[in-house]
Amino acid sequence: MIKLIDISKKYDDLILLKDFNIDFEKNKITCLFGPSGVGKTTIANIVAGIVPIDKGCVGGIDNSLFSYVFQEPRLLKWYNVYENIDFVLKDVYKPDERVEIINSYLNMVELSEYKNYKVDALSGGMAQRVSLARAFAYPSHILIMDEPFKGLDNKLKNEMSSLFLKMWNSSKRTVIFITHDVEEAIDLSHIIFTLKNRPVNIINRITVSNIVNDKEEIKNLLLSH
Amino acid sequence: MMNSILRNKSKLLIILFWILIWEILSLIIAQEIYLPSPHAAFSALMNLLISKDTYITIYYSTYRTLAGFFLSCVTGIFLGIMSGIHKPMYNLLNPLIIIIRTIPVMSIIIIAIMWFRDTNVPIFVAFLMCFPIIWTNTVSGIRSTDIKLLQMCEVYKIKKSRVISSVYLYSSLPYIKAGMISALGIGWKVTSAAEVLSLPKYSIGRFLYDSKVYLEIPDLFAWTIIIVSLSFLFETLLKTIFKYGDKYD
Repeated sequence: MIKLIDISKKYDDLILLKDFNIDFEKNKITCLFGPSGVGKTTIANIVAGIVPIDKGCVGGIDNSLFSYVFQEPRLLKWYNVYENIDFVLKDVYKPDERVEIINSYLNMVELSEYKNYKVDALSGGMAQRVSLARAFAYPSHILIMDEPFKGLDNKLKNEMSSLFLKMWNSSKRTVIFITHDVEEAIDLSHIIFTLKNRPVNIINRITVSNIVNDKEEIKNLLLSH
Repeated sequence: MMNSILRNKSKLLIILFWILIWEILSLIIAQEIYLPSPHAAFSALMNLLISKDTYITIYYSTYRTLAGFFLSCVTGIFLGIMSGIHKPMYNLLNPLIIIIRTIPVMSIIIIAIMWFRDTNVPIFVAFLMCFPIIWTNTVSGIRSTDIKLLQMCEVYKIKKSRVISSVYLYSSLPYIKAGMISALGIGWKVTSAAEVLSLPKYSIGRFLYDSKVYLEIPDLFAWTIIIVSLSFLFETLLKTIFKYGDKYD
């Protein structure tokens, strides 16, 4: 389990987190749900270690590897699809292992035919699928997804969601999933934290079950949030 | 096809127009020592082009220009990357670059004559004049690197050396290329200037100097036409290489 204990973080005069506590269960998908600017990304980046904290401590991440699906694909546009995934695997796997891993993940996101395409030639949805394949191909323990389906139309969003669940089921890891889309939150997560205020507070911790009535109830709860 | 013929035709007309202006001015002035006619300049050029020595001279001057240029590219790009990434390195080098930029070329040439053999003076001067341009452009390129990509590299724990070769370098390539193109043009100018003062045996600069001493002004014009053409030729060559690189990268 990852534990954030008494974390404080401010940007200039803006106090985003004050004595903030939260845990993320191992190999579960935990959603941070809340309005834009509340500090969801900051919490995730603190876990990933790319944002320094002013006070507090982060437990349960010793020697963890992270992968990240950002809002935008963040691919290297001078490389092709295959090389973009290879780029993050080079320091971790041997060359022949890499070929196998990359091909299998490209297959999973249905981009095998496009592996030699430059990133510029891809549509937004395809580029984000590469980013998803990159995140799963990397042997991370913790995967952070920061509004990864933002800006995609509903059809693509649903495709991406089921793709994500398929990949997660075949290679489970701790996921921190950030969104302010109610449907996405309910469909993909095991646990939902609803966040509000500044400095941020956890308003609710919801465990999502598979019972349909229950889902409706959670939906109403999130919408009223 | 038709368009390009028309474009070339209009280019040719523009060149002819300026040669005509030159002709008229030389007729008005009517003294070859101040302004030779285009005809005199081009026949001087023709005389040069049939002489073997001219090509040896062009070979050596080209060698000096390119040697200075390559030295400045290698050090400029290397130190530029270092300075772009490490602020202390930038702070250390920046004052030196500012000084090199502001020192008059002539001072550098004269001091270089004291330090080096005649043939190496132009190489050193071209290097010193081109280096700040390449360095500055490389630093700007490195700094233009998308912070989001660097954050991605940080999350995936990419080795620093690979971040430099796969992210920083590619991001700054357009800046480095632009810097190299302008540095090459300046390289030709300062190499000839340095040759005029250091007078290596085979050098365009020596011929420029001689034409001044012997008042052979049409020769001066002819050699100038050669320098301009060489500069243009190598710039086109460099641009073509870059274009080719982009296409097959």
